[in-house]
Amino acid sequence: MSSDALRLRPPRHRVDRRAIMWWTARALMTTVVITAAPAVPAVFVEPIRFWLLSATVVVAVTGLSVTVVMPQWRYRVHRWEVTDTAVYTSSGWLWQEWRVAPMSRIQTVDTARGPLQRVFGLSSVTVTTASAAGPIEISGLDHMRATEVVDQLTETTEATPGDAT
Amino acid sequence: MSPHGEKPADGWQGLSRLTVWADAVVGALIIAPAAIGLTIALALAPLAWGWSVLPVPAALALFAGMTYLDLLRLRAVGYRVTDERMEMRSGLIAKAYRSIPRERVRSVDVAAPLYVRVFGLCTVTVGTGESAGAGGSDQLQLQFVTAGQGEQLRRDLLQRGPVPKTTGENEENGTGEGPEEEEEELARLNPRWFAYAPATGATLGIGVGALATLASISAQMGGRGRQWLSEWLVLPSGAEIGAFIMGRLLLLVPLTLFALLLLGAVVTLAAAVETWWDYRLIRQSDGTVRLRRGLLTSVSLSVEGRRLNGVALREPFVLRSVGGAEIRAVATGLSAGDDEKTAAKSRLSPAMPGKRARALAATLLRTPDSPFGPVPRVHPRAALRRRFARAGMATLAATAVAGALTWVHVQLRGPWADAWSSVEAEAMGVPLTSGAAEATPVWGWFAVAALFGAVAFWYAVGSYRGLGHGVHTRHLVVRRGMAVRTTVAMERSAVIGWRISRSPFQRRLALADVSATTAAGEGRYTAADVGLGQGVAWAEEAVPGLLAPFVERVEPESGAPERSVLP
Repeated sequence: MSSDALRLRPPRHRVDRRAIMWWTARALMTTVVITAAPAVPAVFVEPIRFWLLSATVVVAVTGLSVTVVMPQWRYRVHRWEVTDTAVYTSSGWLWQEWRVAPMSRIQTVDTARGPLQRVFGLSSVTVTTASAAGPIEISGLDHMRATEVVDQLTETTEATPGDAT
Repeated sequence: MSPHGEKPADGWQGLSRLTVWADAVVGALIIAPAAIGLTIALALAPLAWGWSVLPVPAALALFAGMTYLDLLRLRAVGYRVTDERMEMRSGLIAKAYRSIPRERVRSVDVAAPLYVRVFGLCTVTVGTGESAGAGGSDQLQLQFVTAGQGEQLRRDLLQRGPVPKTTGENEENGTGEGPEEEEEELARLNPRWFAYAPATGATLGIGVGALATLASISAQMGGRGRQWLSEWLVLPSGAEIGAFIMGRLLLLVPLTLFALLLLGAVVTLAAAVETWWDYRLIRQSDGTVRLRRGLLTSVSLSVEGRRLNGVALREPFVLRSVGGAEIRAVATGLSAGDDEKTAAKSRLSPAMPGKRARALAATLLRTPDSPFGPVPRVHPRAALRRRFARAGMATLAATAVAGALTWVHVQLRGPWADAWSSVEAEAMGVPLTSGAAEATPVWGWFAVAALFGAVAFWYAVGSYRGLGHGVHTRHLVVRRGMAVRTTVAMERSAVIGWRISRSPFQRRLALADVSATTAAGEGRYTAADVGLGQGVAWAEEAVPGLLAPFVERVEPESGAPERSVLP
């Protein structure tokens, strides 16, 4: 088998476009919080104000660049696909991850909607297997779409034999 | 369905009554000396004499209270094994009841520490692989039952039903009919193996730890202890000792090292004898693998054959350099609290000769072609380049640290010299470091950094050589590690998914970490830094069909970059 001739194709579906907004909002909130950490003392503490302000600038610039770059990047990477035999996802931006789990090994499927996700009408689908390596998560799906995915997964896993361990 | 009736009938059994006695004896052995000691101390102390009467009654009350609680516990805890389930009730105030299907039982662990063994008792821990709520343990523990009960439990729980019936699993060992005594011995302790025990990094660590403890005790006593000791033993003063040490550095350093090593060797050897005495590994007719070991605490662990999904061959650096190895189980239901306990529980052999370990591992896997031979597939050169890059970064960091230390060194010789030597005299009594600062050249730090760099690059080469992955008839193999080289062979049927992850650096070098996820052992076994295509091909070969729908062929050497990268 000539080895370098193989590679994974990206999963078929992108996540919802609104996920970009969601990621942006999330990154912005984090940026505000961690910028406040050195910025607030800078107002009150006279002697080391210069250092605190420099720290503030560094943190703010880093945070804002992440806020600008990360959501677009993630949107290119985050993809998912559910077939009759397996769940296949890709996620991440700098560090990227592809996950495959066969239907016969899926234990539970659930959806979650955080407050911020709800603002944008999004949901996450979490697919748990018996592995200690953690569940597979498809985040940033349209709410209706997420429900469909869960229904499809539940139906398929019920039809697939196996003790899920 | 919850049989909360407290009747001892219908198969319910309790803990052994001797439990209370065993706990009482241990409690008395701890409490009595403490009470007596406290009484003496209080009597000698310049206090009203009435104080010294208190400890003994207090100790008696504590003892009585503990024994009473123990009696209550004895009555509250019960268990029974029915055809389908194991049930256990417990709890003094909050009653708890747990019931697990017998086919979920994955391991039975019978342990008998010395103080329990003299009463003919043992602790039974049943691994279930499912936890009771968040953070709950996935184990049932009975503390203590008689050795007979323990043996009975072990036998009952790992035998699939008293009536031969198909369990719905298409495994060949489903009958549970065969006579108990048909067992195959896989390994038995060879006392020569204890020679490998001191071959760990801990050997020197223990000695250094002992020395550091002494130094810190001396520091906490503000040098008074040392003064007292030196008057008593007619030791020379600190300055004289310092001069003496400096004068004979070449002799004393190797001598100290040797003494530390000797001390460490004795401790590790004693630990190994305690842990692995009477070691025996057998496979019963129904496929259950049973481990027995221990001198003071005798331990017996049974893992159902079906749950033993693989074997890990561990070769820590020092052990590897003397040709030794040890074996751990990759099994479901062996997790216990934290990772360290889990690792301790999954050990299947002491340090033994590598050849023997490989043979034993292959026997455990029941496979004719041992997956522990030379690992067939070499990882790309890029993986070596990555490790060189890391070594380079480490060397740079070491050089920076050396620079900083050199500055401190120069200061210690000059401006700080007096202040530091007085601090040191206070803490250790011996002006070791300020003496050393005088005696050693300033550029010494950079020599150390250079040495560190050399070691880092040697380590990089070693860890690249350690990488490997392969596929065998029933198993997949991954190998990695320099400090601890671990070769894992895991059943291909135990793979429950794949995870491929790539850092920015790995993407640039066309590498990937390809992990097989599983319910057994650590949950994820990784072929680190394989070529992307190589890794995908490996995964597809190990579990045909799972990845196939998502794999595409590209022209080799097309140089096409990943699609899903940079915007």
